[in-house]
Amino acid sequence: MTYQEEFAQRFGEAVSFDPQILRSYDHDLGEMPRPLLAMIRHRPDVVVVARSAGDTADALRLAGKHGLPVTPRAQASSGYGGAIPCRGGLVLDLCNCNRVLSVDAANATVDVEPGVVWEDLSRALAPHGLGNRVCPTSAPSSTVGGWFAMGGVGIGSLRYGTIRDNVLEIDVAGLDGAVRTFRGEAMEPYSQTCGSLGVVTRLRLACRKAETLLPLAARMPDAPAAVRFLELLEAWPDVYSASLQSAGYCAMRAAAEGHAPALASGFLVSFATTAKETATAEATRLAALCGGALLDDAVAEAEWNGRYYPMRIRKVGPSALVGEYLVPMQGFPAAHAALTAALKRDALGVEAFGVRGGGLAVLVYILDDARALLYPLRMAKAMLPMRLAARFGGRPYATGMWFSALAGEVFGPDKLALVRRLKAQLDARGLLNPGKLSGPGLPLAPFVSLSRCILAGTACLGPLAALLPSKPRRTS
Amino acid sequence: MSTQAFSPVAPDRFPASELAEAVASCARCGFCKVACPTFPFGGGFETFSPRAKVYFLKDYFEGRDVLTPEWVDRLYRCTTCERCQAVCQTAIPLVPLWEAVRADVVARGLGPMPAHKKLRALAEAHGNPYGEPADKQSQWLLPEHKPVEAADILVFGGCTASYRMPSMLQTGVTILTRLAIPYAYAGGLENCCASPLLRTGQLDVAGELIGRNLDLFARTGARTIVTPCGGCSKTLKHDYPQWARKLGKPFDVTVRHFSEVYADLLRQGRIRPSVPVEATVTFHDPCHVGRSQGLFDEPREILAAIPGVKLVEMPRCRESSRCCGAGGGVKANYPEMAAAIAKDRLEEAVATGADTLVTMCPFCQGSFSQAIKETDASIGLCGLEELLLASLPEAR
Repeated sequence: MTYQEEFAQRFGEAVSFDPQILRSYDHDLGEMPRPLLAMIRHRPDVVVVARSAGDTADALRLAGKHGLPVTPRAQASSGYGGAIPCRGGLVLDLCNCNRVLSVDAANATVDVEPGVVWEDLSRALAPHGLGNRVCPTSAPSSTVGGWFAMGGVGIGSLRYGTIRDNVLEIDVAGLDGAVRTFRGEAMEPYSQTCGSLGVVTRLRLACRKAETLLPLAARMPDAPAAVRFLELLEAWPDVYSASLQSAGYCAMRAAAEGHAPALASGFLVSFATTAKETATAEATRLAALCGGALLDDAVAEAEWNGRYYPMRIRKVGPSALVGEYLVPMQGFPAAHAALTAALKRDALGVEAFGVRGGGLAVLVYILDDARALLYPLRMAKAMLPMRLAARFGGRPYATGMWFSALAGEVFGPDKLALVRRLKAQLDARGLLNPGKLSGPGLPLAPFVSLSRCILAGTACLGPLAALLPSKPRRTS
Repeated sequence: MSTQAFSPVAPDRFPASELAEAVASCARCGFCKVACPTFPFGGGFETFSPRAKVYFLKDYFEGRDVLTPEWVDRLYRCTTCERCQAVCQTAIPLVPLWEAVRADVVARGLGPMPAHKKLRALAEAHGNPYGEPADKQSQWLLPEHKPVEAADILVFGGCTASYRMPSMLQTGVTILTRLAIPYAYAGGLENCCASPLLRTGQLDVAGELIGRNLDLFARTGARTIVTPCGGCSKTLKHDYPQWARKLGKPFDVTVRHFSEVYADLLRQGRIRPSVPVEATVTFHDPCHVGRSQGLFDEPREILAAIPGVKLVEMPRCRESSRCCGAGGGVKANYPEMAAAIAKDRLEEAVATGADTLVTMCPFCQGSFSQAIKETDASIGLCGLEELLLASLPEAR
């Protein structure tokens, strides 16, 4: 029996070989140049819509039997290429594995399938008096399993750390069709590796007790003051989440949303605390200590209510180059200054989330137009923030496919060694999401990593790209 | 965003370049996919999501893909509920986009879908998509209803209310009658507002019907048109002004959904609900009244004014309300999908523990009536105005 026949027999209407359907699975949120995509087999040969752990395990078993590469995919709401195939094969769509399996209110934990959407989970937890500890800014669509597989920080990370810090237990299906349970340190290799070692079929998450949150916002005169303020917020136990935005980002948001910018210079720090009577007074005191001041309630509410809409700025793009990196808070002012100097011809928007332990996850936006002739060249600018931040203790945010050559920096050497050892044990044929640990090879030189080529190419072209300003095409 | 900002299928409103610019700003975040009521009925395949449709349209506009019959079918699997554009990160006017593409599909002879062609044939022959004779249009009028020849207010019944689900229309007119508010009614002369034809891209016949209605409105001299139908009120408010300009006909009137009229009467103290109506209700926001027209507060204001009524909201309400499945030509061509969407929404209503599901659009009422019958759900169904009327003291 061919793999097509066997998949059709097992999955019926939940499998498709239709080219029109396959085409929907050959990209993610990123806008990569077509010549780059042409170097890999980014279109799958078959898609299976899994609806249970059993479906996932069976699909993996059949893929293993037929030697078919498997790319697990949920909402594909990141731009790192982690959910894009590089050798065709099977895409395993996990969005319909979306049940909240059980809530343990007494222990504040929840068991979910990987395709559960963060915002849906929040709604499901509310009747139990619980809430998500952390969630991405893409919470209305992104999934629990997807964020764990990519590794991430976001809303709530100032208090609770990364997604990995808040996952207590996982089930993982392998190519043999077996599902195994991991806890504690044993889970580590499965985080950030995009399903290269197996596909997560269940996660147990720690939850927080739901409390009414009070959104607040402060104006800070410069990056050192903003960082100082974030440090004070981290030390204040009532603060749940905090992020900063540069005046440039506020201007982009304002242009997209059709209102006046919240501030003209410096940084805006948006944060949420438990709604105690003393919160505003304490926030005012801390802001003043840093040379800043609280902004009015309307600004604070607008920022908090708009926390899931960072990409609204594309309305005035219509595209955006996005650079992303993690940096110690103390390193951010210098990294930001270096970037501003390097890209002085561009308007930059910066948004950064505080991470427990004095870290910042920084997003740098440069508005552009992906249809423009020089866009592929200007894309090299998206790598500059990460490169410059490395001088100040920064490191890449994630790997996916495009940055898989940076796995050592993202994972650290010990984890990388462990992951490689497990990969050799569990998936010697390299079928589980190939190309996500060491990068896909070039078509005519498979021993040369495409990811390394991207890194080398952008390093060479970066200075030239920096001379080409990315101007917004229109304003709202 | 609602279509208040981007009037749908306005002729010449969306040149190709503007559509291309809109799809280029798609962030591919997938918020629309999660929000879409029809996406789950595509087998769970990404290709049926609004996000995938936008991705396809980007390639199509740039000449890298072609409209296949399968893509045409997918583009018609949309109730135009506006939930996708309400959550869109980059505020793409998605419903006008779908409708403009459907018009393009029809212009190229690739659409509409079979059931929509029947709607067109019936509307062309009878002036309404149900194929009913004009003399049945005013069958809902009660003996106590006294429309006058000419008045500031013209009641526009709409096809679904007039021929299929008359209770909201009937009750609304009873309230006007009881308050001695003069109203005109052009029963037998009304044409379909053209909403089903506009939503399915059949602009030529839509233009004919709109033209006839514009002439009728001008003849009556009415200054305000009142209708109980979500589809009619959205179309009259947002499409007619642009079509009037295109057709060179006058349209100097204010359009109001009946709920706006009741809310005004309440605020003016002209109606005072005083008879207790003991009911625990949940309210379904019709898409074309809520998201399209921004009428979220008015129905709640009315419910709050009725003594004895306790409102229990569904988790997805107001801007987040789920669709009943009837709009955009879906109920006509994909009746099973429409019925399943209505049942999903009905489940949400039942889960609130309310004894009555209240809405204010005859399309929604039709969908839920069928869903209740098919599922034997233990919940009642009524129009907002029926509760309001029950709470008004009898005229002396």
